[in-house]
Amino acid sequence: MGRYALQRIALAAPVLLGVLLIGFLLMQVVPTDPATVRAGPQATAEVVAAIRTELGLDAPIWRQFLLYMSRLAQGDLGVSIINNVPVTQELSATMGPTLELMAAALVWSIPLGIFLGTLAAYWRGSWLDRIIMAVSVAGVSLPVFFLGLVLIWIVGFQYQLLPFTGRGGPLWTLDGILAVILPALTLGGVFVGPVARMTRTAVVDSLTADHVRTARAKGLSEYRVVLRHALRNALIPVVTLIGLQIGFLLGGAVVTETIFSWPGVGRLAVGAILSADFPMAQGTIIVLSAGFIVINLVVDLLYAVLDPRVRLS
Amino acid sequence: MSGLNQPVSLPRPGTWRMLVRDPGAGLSAGFVGLMLLAALLAPWIAPRDPFATDLMAIMQPPGGEYLWGTDGQGRDILSRCIYGLQVTLFMGLVSLIVGGGLGAAVGFAAAFYRRLDGLLMRLMDILLSFPAILFGLALAAIFGPGLTSVIIALSIATVPLMARIVRGAALVVMGQDYIEAARATGMSDARLVWRHVAPNCLSPIFVFSTLRLGQVILLGSALSFLGLGAQAPTAELGAMAAQGRNFLFIAPHISVIPSIAIFAVVLAFNVLGDALRDALDPRLRL
Repeated sequence: MGRYALQRIALAAPVLLGVLLIGFLLMQVVPTDPATVRAGPQATAEVVAAIRTELGLDAPIWRQFLLYMSRLAQGDLGVSIINNVPVTQELSATMGPTLELMAAALVWSIPLGIFLGTLAAYWRGSWLDRIIMAVSVAGVSLPVFFLGLVLIWIVGFQYQLLPFTGRGGPLWTLDGILAVILPALTLGGVFVGPVARMTRTAVVDSLTADHVRTARAKGLSEYRVVLRHALRNALIPVVTLIGLQIGFLLGGAVVTETIFSWPGVGRLAVGAILSADFPMAQGTIIVLSAGFIVINLVVDLLYAVLDPRVRLS
Repeated sequence: MSGLNQPVSLPRPGTWRMLVRDPGAGLSAGFVGLMLLAALLAPWIAPRDPFATDLMAIMQPPGGEYLWGTDGQGRDILSRCIYGLQVTLFMGLVSLIVGGGLGAAVGFAAAFYRRLDGLLMRLMDILLSFPAILFGLALAAIFGPGLTSVIIALSIATVPLMARIVRGAALVVMGQDYIEAARATGMSDARLVWRHVAPNCLSPIFVFSTLRLGQVILLGSALSFLGLGAQAPTAELGAMAAQGRNFLFIAPHISVIPSIAIFAVVLAFNVLGDALRDALDPRLRL
């Protein structure tokens, strides 16, 4: 296991370096000069030149890259052009809400998807299976913003049942929970379909396996056969696929945050790009990419723990 | 190993019959055809100018003089949807052709030149580990928001997926006896791929492309909704849904109609793709 983990980490390291390099190049091609921006509109040429030297912008490009890397290592991602706040400060304030939203979406959509997928697999070919699969295809085809806008319009505005703008507070308060319901329903809503489809395929495979036949032959109840023997084995590929679908969820999170004014990383990134706040855009993209590399690494390692065939092959 | 009954092959006789018998497939194929026709003929069939504003008739509900109502600037939503369909389908098709073409080339290269396989597929794994939306954000940051950035992002995100599909299919085909026979006649690599390998990989490519088109359209319209894609006054379905957000509580149809249009388009491609897969590869139907 240790060797597999090391190999996997060795693979992730150059990718991370690549992401950082692309992040660095991003700042090289953008049309604004950070020194002029930081100096402000009234600064003289001398002041701008002094800031250029101070920021290391007059050094050769490879030195600039090293400087950028050492700043990154110290957690310095620059300062926002728009409001002069350090990028890391904004990022650390938005990461929590994004994780909160994703967790709130997953906590109901994964169990529901697994439940529906198992039902469809057990009664495959029946009307129930067809209905569940039809709803799943519809769910996979639904634009996230459509679901969000409809929920805001009907639940939030027409019936005024739940709040629909911003975060109400920490999740352990009532306001926090009420505020997260609609965004979590929106984001999780588009995730139920894929989970149900993946579960159905895995459980169908597993139901025809020898060990399930043995379990039946032992005279176990259907309930036990399905839950303990078929579903449990099917869960390994499902969990991995869910892990790999986190990217899909992030796409939805960016849109969901924007619609519900949820103060997360996705909304920060979109706002930064639209207002041409390059340091902020660069910071959010680097953090999101690095987040992905880590998530993929963790999913792969978890998979190897759950299924020894992966690390032995 | 007999090469006759392998899973990867050209559509067999009976495939079309199977497809026609599936009501979902027939309906979605018909709908896709209609949409393509509507997009192509937009200038002739759109009842009004999609950019003409009528300030005396803003936010008209659907059903009156304007069949699908008007938006916040009094523009005809039906006409804008027809033109929007054109932009949305164009965005999807170009991304699919560019990304899919590159991906197919990588896939064939990996299957054919086994020494390159490891390197190419590792590179594809790396691309695959980033979600499309991240490419969309990065490209919009570099080149500025716009349709081009979205198309490039969606193309990049399509490359590794197509490469995997094509590599898998090509490897199966390459193991066949007739490939060995063709090779023995002294056929060049390029000719071998073009004449014998590629044609036998068409069905998985076709299935994947249909399903991917739906996903690409969904992603592209989400990026446009965020303001990172098509810019005003271009009629694009995602951007139209975003513009309607400001009037959600007084005239929800401005957002809802383009959203339903996207949903219908994507659903049609997904249903058609699933049906094609079932018809072309009966082993998957359980």
